[in-house]
Amino acid sequence: MRHFLAALGAALFAAPAFAAIPKDGAYGMQPAATRIAERIHHFHNFLLWIIIPITLFVMILLLWVIVRHNSRANPTPRKFSHNTLIEVIWTVVPALILVAIASQSFPQLYYEDVPPNLQNVQDKAKTLLADGKSAQYEAFVKEYNPDAAAKGYVNVKIQGNQWNWTYSYPDITDDAGNSIEFISNPLQTGLPTDQPGEPRNLAVDYPMVVPAGRYIRYYTAAADVIHSFAVPSFGVKTDAIPGRLNEGWFLVDEPGVYYGQCSELCGVNHAYMPIEVVVVPQEQFDRWAQLMLTGDYDAAAASVKTIASLDQPVKYASTNH
Amino acid sequence: MAHGEVKHDYHLVNPSPWPLIGSVAVMTTALGAVNFMKGLFGMEKGTWWLLALGFAMIIWVMIGWWREVIKEGRIGDHTPVVSIGLRYGMILFIASEVMFFVGWFWSFFEFAIYHTARAGAHWDAANPLYADALSRFKHWPPAGVETFDPFHLPLINTLVLLLSGTTVTWAHHALQHNDRNGAKIGLVFTILLGMLFTSLQAFEYSHAQFTYDGTLYGSAFFMATGFHGAHVVIGTIFLIVCLVRLMMGGMTPTKHLGFEFAAWYWHFVDVVWLFLFAFVYVTPYLVLGGGEGH
Amino acid sequence: MPMDEVALDHHHDADHKPGFFVRWLFSTNHKDIGTLYLVFALIAGIVGYTLSGLIRWELMEPGIGPMLWIQTHFFGLEGAEAIQHAKHFYNMVITYHGLIMIFFLVMPALIGGFGNWFVPLMIGAPDMAFPRMNNISFWLTVAAFTLACISMTIPGGASGNGFAGGWVLYPPLSSTVGHPGPAMDLLILSLHTAGIASILGAINFIVTILNMRAPGMTMHKMPLFAWGILVTAVLLLLSLPVLAAALTMLLTDRNFGSQFFNPGGGGDPVMFQHLFWFFGHPEVYIMILPAFGIISHIVSTFSKKPIFGYLGMAYAMVSIGVIGFVVWAHHMYTVGMNVDLKAYFVAATMVIAVPTGIKIFSWIATMWGGSIEFKVPMLWAIGFIFLFTVGGVTGVVLANAGIDHTLHDTYYVVAHFHYVLSLGAVFGLFAGWYYWFEKMFGIKYNGMIGGLHFWLMFIGSNVLFFPQHFLGLQGMPRRYIDYADGFHTWHYWSSVGYLITLAATTVFFIGLVEAFVRRRKGVANPWGEGATTLEWTLPSPPPFHQYSELPHFTGKGGH
Ligand code: HEA
Ligand code: HEA
Ligand code: CUA
Ligand SMILES: [Cu+2]
Repeated sequence: MRHFLAALGAALFAAPAFAAIPKDGAYGMQPAATRIAERIHHFHNFLLWIIIPITLFVMILLLWVIVRHNSRANPTPRKFSHNTLIEVIWTVVPALILVAIASQSFPQLYYEDVPPNLQNVQDKAKTLLADGKSAQYEAFVKEYNPDAAAKGYVNVKIQGNQWNWTYSYPDITDDAGNSIEFISNPLQTGLPTDQPGEPRNLAVDYPMVVPAGRYIRYYTAAADVIHSFAVPSFGVKTDAIPGRLNEGWFLVDEPGVYYGQCSELCGVNHAYMPIEVVVVPQEQFDRWAQLMLTGDYDAAAASVKTIASLDQPVKYASTNH
Repeated sequence: MAHGEVKHDYHLVNPSPWPLIGSVAVMTTALGAVNFMKGLFGMEKGTWWLLALGFAMIIWVMIGWWREVIKEGRIGDHTPVVSIGLRYGMILFIASEVMFFVGWFWSFFEFAIYHTARAGAHWDAANPLYADALSRFKHWPPAGVETFDPFHLPLINTLVLLLSGTTVTWAHHALQHNDRNGAKIGLVFTILLGMLFTSLQAFEYSHAQFTYDGTLYGSAFFMATGFHGAHVVIGTIFLIVCLVRLMMGGMTPTKHLGFEFAAWYWHFVDVVWLFLFAFVYVTPYLVLGGGEGH
Repeated sequence: MPMDEVALDHHHDADHKPGFFVRWLFSTNHKDIGTLYLVFALIAGIVGYTLSGLIRWELMEPGIGPMLWIQTHFFGLEGAEAIQHAKHFYNMVITYHGLIMIFFLVMPALIGGFGNWFVPLMIGAPDMAFPRMNNISFWLTVAAFTLACISMTIPGGASGNGFAGGWVLYPPLSSTVGHPGPAMDLLILSLHTAGIASILGAINFIVTILNMRAPGMTMHKMPLFAWGILVTAVLLLLSLPVLAAALTMLLTDRNFGSQFFNPGGGGDPVMFQHLFWFFGHPEVYIMILPAFGIISHIVSTFSKKPIFGYLGMAYAMVSIGVIGFVVWAHHMYTVGMNVDLKAYFVAATMVIAVPTGIKIFSWIATMWGGSIEFKVPMLWAIGFIFLFTVGGVTGVVLANAGIDHTLHDTYYVVAHFHYVLSLGAVFGLFAGWYYWFEKMFGIKYNGMIGGLHFWLMFIGSNVLFFPQHFLGLQGMPRRYIDYADGFHTWHYWSSVGYLITLAATTVFFIGLVEAFVRRRKGVANPWGEGATTLEWTLPSPPPFHQYSELPHFTGKGGH
């Protein structure tokens, strides 16, 4: 526990690595841990630059008419009720603003929604480098990670149950062909039998563990009713629906602990099926996987309580070539 | 309207107890239905009397209410402008019924067209919960479900309904030309054809190789065709009421709104059937392959 | 005596009111039915408001508090069982809060109440087209509300009474997997009943507006409130049957073994969501369009200017209605839809900002150059315009699937829709209430009290709902009885905001009582030259039957 808190503290305050957790009194989004979330932050900031001025504009106009066109300031009302030019303007300008929003919105949507084709990522990076287009290459690796692409996807299947999550890693198997599959239970459910553990209502017994700097592709399914897998700092949210398999992807560069919560009403314990994702360096992940395969879940969970490489900045490591 | 000082032709209806009774009836029916399905207030599941009471009340209200309307029509409350309003009202009611059927068609289409998407790569074959469904949903209609051959009974039924559409028009024209006998005969034929349709449909249902419960195809099929069937029955009753009114000397060549509405309703039921025939019977059979050997 | 004779024997005169019971129980008078609707909405509003109080009370502090207290003190439960019941109870409270506010406060008040009262008056009609059907719309709404209230008290799921799966009723949580008890069945039938009531009401309004306008009043001269109700009625007529179909499938899934939404039998829970939102999205415009109409009249009246861009205003509502039918899946961005479909729904949804912007700017242009008097209705109207804009622009944020992937089902959405509903539709409701109070009841309210009500409500509801944006951005999920500690501060402030609205609501009722006790006699037109629609030509309250001789309308559109 002490280690864990230390890790958490370090994660909160040390610059490169971090944990994402709701912060009291904060105004904005949780810090971005993935490129998806970073892009969402940018896009959201862009939108704020549109919606706040629009709201202020409406407010100023209202204040203006309140001050200038009230019955004391303007005892005789004017009688006009048409002005074609102004009507055209307030139809066309909002439409143009929407086009501007859409021009950012669609790329953002497709970026998030379509798991990248890793072969294409590598090929594109190679061509850019070969052609000496370094500026374009820099821009490209802000969005895609060719190194990670070379290592392929890590597949995780996430199943929502009333009221916990089952994580399985179909590709990681022992000699007998059994893969990793475990249930992640919340430490607290609001009951007197709750186990201690921080952060309250977010901590779980066996977290989902993924390697840093790797492309993760996840599939969501559900056993009973609809749940939703959501991690705010990753910018992902995918419903887990019985009878369907949905997919999503993310890539976390920074080792750390990230929290999410079930985001579709699923019954009494909906508020108590948190998601804890521990992102660790590849070697540590491999060790964890080995322990999981031997069935020693506690040892495996303990092995990721401290993140091995906390002080090694790994962000955009691939850009260093 | 009879009021001396009123200088317009709208119909100011007198206070009526039927709306309140009707709403109590609906509430009784709702409570009765839940009582029947689940058991309520300490009564056992399957208790039917409350539901029956509710239905009886609804029928009582309908009879009482519409008798009032018929009387008002007879004493001249349905002036030309009021008649136009009533016509608009009936058209709008049918429009809302159309949207009701949109619901059934929508689900039927989704199941028919997207079944491969839903049963394809995205299904988790390893999950025992879905394995069963997976095996059934590679096909639509699902493997093992033998659908009806549209060119037997359904085709006959189509002809029956189309024919009934012409007989109801015959009756209407007859009435407009004050040929009351012709109108009655046309109506009798329409009613008989409607009943024939319902019987054939019942016969077909009894030979279905699938059921409402337990299979998705059955659910979607019976919901769409069954609701249509219910509308045929309602339409038939509507026509019977018109026949009775005709026989009792009601309706005139110029004023027979009830008849018009029954005929509109009947045509609506007819058109819905054409859609059902085309998209629920024929298309899956021809395009997607239904039943054995597909 | 047979029932039909009761009715037929009592032919009454135009100004002669029937006796008390016949008048209020068997009513066929649009104004009386309108009043019944308003009284009903007031009662349902108090219920919905009380439920929202329970929500805010519970969320003021982290942990499970008041809900547990209720379980132990009122239901005598203990230990873990009490806690599980408390969680269920919370989910039930939010579910019925949403349903009651929507189906039994906003819709009955704006459409049933004001629509009934003022559509006939404004278009110069003596009554609604189908006065008797009008009454069954009302009584069915009462029946539906009663059924919903009963369903709160009968077994729902494993941990308590009532349905606790959210107002959107998603299966499988709403099928027998999640809620095996009869509560859900009764709720379904309650919504069926409310739906029938609304469809009949919609038919009534459409026919009245199409067929009963006074001579000279063409569609393009019709007051904007009537336009708002017309579009609303069309939306109701076309969207509610689809909900009814979905509910029927759900009901037979639950009771007769059909498989529509049952994944085990190959059915598809997402199918329900499509059907629900095909209704649900038009529904949100159903709640706001009548308010748009009301605001137009108020802004014009108190600026003493005709409405700016009347035709644009009318057709903006029409296009909002039309586009409103093709955007429904923006509520479903996270269900795993095809990405191209999402892109379509993003584009379609954002388009609605254009006609809505036309309305906002036209209201301001109506005020521009006017001689504005800040009477109580105008305060609410200005508040509406500003706060609806705030809610609208966050809607545009949510419309972008790329962002909704992270904001969906968080308090950001809760903030968005309370800005357009609780600070939009309800502000419109209060605006209309104060605007027409004197006309309806023939007495004057106290302007000071009305102003205090407005200011307390304006401040309170902003304190209540603005911080919820921050919660949502930080990731606070919806429908949570308990939250991580990092969400405490803003939840606390949100609950403080609720307390301010509690003060506001108290002031509202004091004002109501004061007006009815003092009974200051009202005049036909308290607002002066700015009030140009036909209802102001009649005495306050109008005679039991107005326009025995139809008025000849000579005005222009927007007057
Ligand atoms: C009165 C009800 C009402 C109204 C009017 C609206 C209006 C809008 N809503 Fe809202 N909405 C709800 C009620 C309403 N909504 C409810 C109840 C839910 C949640 C349901 C649930 O899940 O329980 C919801 C949820 C909801 C979602 C789903 C969120 C989610 O669950 O993840 C979305 C996403 O697109 C959305 C979008 C919009 C948009 C784009 C508008 C637009 O119509 C807004 C248009 C208005 C403006 C934009 C402001 C004025 C315009 C200008 C000043 C012009 C210039 C502006 C620009 C160029 C931007 N709404
Ligand atoms: C019109 C709709 C409406 C209105 C008015 C409100 C009003 C309020 N709502 Fe909301 N709410 C919903 C519709 C509405 N709500 C819906 C649809 C949901 C989603 C449910 C779900 O998740 O399934 C929801 C959910 C919801 C939540 C989220 C719960 C959760 O996700 O866990 C919260 C939390 O604070 C909340 C709070 C409030 C509060 C404090 C008020 C109010 O107290 C604000 C102040 C309002 C008033 C003071 C008005 C009082 C009116 C009258 C007294 C009647 C007057 C009548 C006449 C004059 C005739 N509501
Ligand atoms: Cu699982 Cu909510
Ligand atoms: Cu919507």
